[in-house]
Amino acid sequence: MKMEADLKIGFKDKANKMLGYHPEDAKLSKSYIAVAFIALLVGGFLGLLQGLNRAGLLELPSWFNYYQVLTAHGLLLILVLTAFFTIGYFYAALSHNLGGLLPKVRKLAWIGFFIKLAGFVLAVIPILMNEASVMYTFYPPMAAHPVFYIGLALIVVGVWSCCIGAFIQVANWRKNHKGQHVPILSYFATGVFVLLFFALMFVAVEVLFMIIPWVFGWVDTINVMVARTLFWAFGHTLVNIWYLTAVSAWYVVVPKVIGGKRWSDLLTRVVIIALVIMNITGGFHHQIIDPGINEVVKFMHVFMSLAIGFPSLMTAFALFAVFERTARRKGGKGLIGWWKKMPWGDVRFLAPFIAMVAFIPAGAGGIAQSTNQLDQVVHNTMWIVGHFHLTLGMSVVMTFFGISYWLVPFISNRVLTPQINRLGVIQTWIWTAGMICMSGAMHYVGLLGSPRRTSYTTYGDHATALGWDPYLMLLAVGGTLLIVGVILQVYAVFNMMFFAPKGDTEFPIAEEEDNATKTPYITERWGLWIVIMLIVVAMAYVIPLTEFIVNAPPGSPPFKTW
Amino acid sequence: MNQSFYGLLLYIFLVTPPVANFMESLMVIHMHMQMPMLVIAGMLMARFFQKRFPRFFEKWNSNGVPGITLFVILMVYWMLPRTMDEALTSTLVEGFKFISLPFLAGISLRDSWKKLNPFGKNSIIISFTVLFIGLGWIYIWSPVQLCNNYLVIEQVTLGWAFLLTAIGMIVYLGYNFFIDPSAYE
Ligand code: HEM
Ligand SMILES: [Cu+2]
Repeated sequence: MKMEADLKIGFKDKANKMLGYHPEDAKLSKSYIAVAFIALLVGGFLGLLQGLNRAGLLELPSWFNYYQVLTAHGLLLILVLTAFFTIGYFYAALSHNLGGLLPKVRKLAWIGFFIKLAGFVLAVIPILMNEASVMYTFYPPMAAHPVFYIGLALIVVGVWSCCIGAFIQVANWRKNHKGQHVPILSYFATGVFVLLFFALMFVAVEVLFMIIPWVFGWVDTINVMVARTLFWAFGHTLVNIWYLTAVSAWYVVVPKVIGGKRWSDLLTRVVIIALVIMNITGGFHHQIIDPGINEVVKFMHVFMSLAIGFPSLMTAFALFAVFERTARRKGGKGLIGWWKKMPWGDVRFLAPFIAMVAFIPAGAGGIAQSTNQLDQVVHNTMWIVGHFHLTLGMSVVMTFFGISYWLVPFISNRVLTPQINRLGVIQTWIWTAGMICMSGAMHYVGLLGSPRRTSYTTYGDHATALGWDPYLMLLAVGGTLLIVGVILQVYAVFNMMFFAPKGDTEFPIAEEEDNATKTPYITERWGLWIVIMLIVVAMAYVIPLTEFIVNAPPGSPPFKTW
Repeated sequence: MNQSFYGLLLYIFLVTPPVANFMESLMVIHMHMQMPMLVIAGMLMARFFQKRFPRFFEKWNSNGVPGITLFVILMVYWMLPRTMDEALTSTLVEGFKFISLPFLAGISLRDSWKKLNPFGKNSIIISFTVLFIGLGWIYIWSPVQLCNNYLVIEQVTLGWAFLLTAIGMIVYLGYNFFIDPSAYE
């Protein structure tokens, strides 16, 4: 009896090894993913409150006003959901690809987990007390309670801890596998953690050396332009970190789900390197309307931003080629006929597929916004909110949802049942409909002039403002559909995590094409790529930053504008 | 041959008057983008000359020292504020810039670097690091305008670019010192 049990365990262990499943690492990823989806649930409800308010359907009470809700919605979804998901997902990949996490790496990730949670709690308390309605961008001279910034600083430290863990893990693997390429998903993870590590330095400087001394009153004034610039050097990079995370699933996982092969390994790695090198400097496209930046410099930065568009386009090309090849191999015929061969009923394909399609209008909108004259029309209007609900709320988040339908079963040692799959498909369509309504309405009403970050007002029944109402109503309808989507999604995740039938789930990683060109080893020389990245960053930031600092205005004292 | 051709394209791009004028209009771009890119263009084109005149390089630059010396002299020369000024005012000097940086400095760097031993390489990088720190210090804290053609703010910007480049090189040296690539490759 005892022996049989032992044998069974032995067998189980072997199966786990073959699947690259490591229980302790899985627990880590599970915790990260659970936090991410709780953030989605809470953040989603806050979003609904905002949507209903903007449509004039709901007046928020004075003890929980629009700007508190908005700050929390932004932080929960932009920071907590994405950071926790990204880390949970990539740590699962590192564990699976690289033979399990080293104990010290796991420990670093756990330390990071709790530091981040502590930081988040510290940041939320002042928001709830209406002491930190500064939105997730926390632009000075708006000043929140000092505790808010201490919380942010802790979150930074927590993420750094995870970055360092990932670096140790990859370096160790490379030492033991000399001359081999790091497996592709771990390669993505390396790129993402490199970007996170360096991008966080900018906010860390902003928060630790500029804002904290200022809110404590150790210094009287702050250089607003420098602070904004440091914020966006980080903020923009964060955006592309989400993008890289989503792309990793598009390139590596989706082809496997549809039974195809991965597109060129070399091209994939080149895209990752290109994004890492060129990314941080894109930050200035968030400051196109800011004063104090020379036109020539702005022009250079538009060029840099659009340069990132190039690898993105390569991505789109590669992916649709993979789809077509796979479908044709399965007997799909004709110009459009092969579409029928795609697994439309499989949520692991459907959700990321729609996410990719959404990236087409999202990218087009982004290119429009990078243009100075066009941005003057939409800057700080609801258009922008529409834009990032399309990019982040659809392209990225729907990919995360798609990932969850195999990742959560994998780390929970359970399976995706047909029922949950069907629920996922329904969820995907609801989310799609909701986002199209909400984001479409936001884009349009933005063109009509409705400002972002502004609770419901008719400006004394001004005709223009009244003209926005129908679109804002559509926005609320979209938001309502979305909250249904949120509930279904969160239900699905926790069902797969705790209640689905036990069983083995594969970690889907597509193979390379047979006749693939060999990837040169230089793609593994991260030292080189990081030095080039730093040079590019220096080239982009030295001119404007020197100007901001040397020709600085008197600076601003803190303001509480709410 | 491919890379020589791209080098030539880059070179032609850089000397086109609108591009050259734009790059020279900002001091830091003049020194930290135009000049290095001219050197890079030369390094790319070097292959062509190495294949064409192998004996010449063999004879005059067998251990890399003459080449790297030429490179260093030219670099130091072009980092003087005075020479930048002159390149902007005198066409002759500007012409010399467009010829000396790619064809003398770029080619000799490419031909010499591989021939140097690690000690030589490191000493070159270290000397440039020290030089850059010094120049950064001069450009940032100099109380007067050093170039007739550029304002003090541009000078300060350039100084920071020098300091950051020096920091970059220190990072590189540290990386080289602490990390042994053969443990990974
Ligand atoms: C139930 C789904 C959602 C609804 C109903 C919703 C609705 C809204 C609304 C109405 C705004 C405020 C616009 C304004 O006044 O400026 C907003 C802002 C925002 N939303 Fe959402 N949203 C949802 C989901 C998401 C998701 C999934 C993300 C990202 C992952 C997201 C990220 C943001 C961000 C970053 C802001 C900007 C906050 C700011 O301006 O400070 N939202 N959302
Ligand atoms: Cu951006």
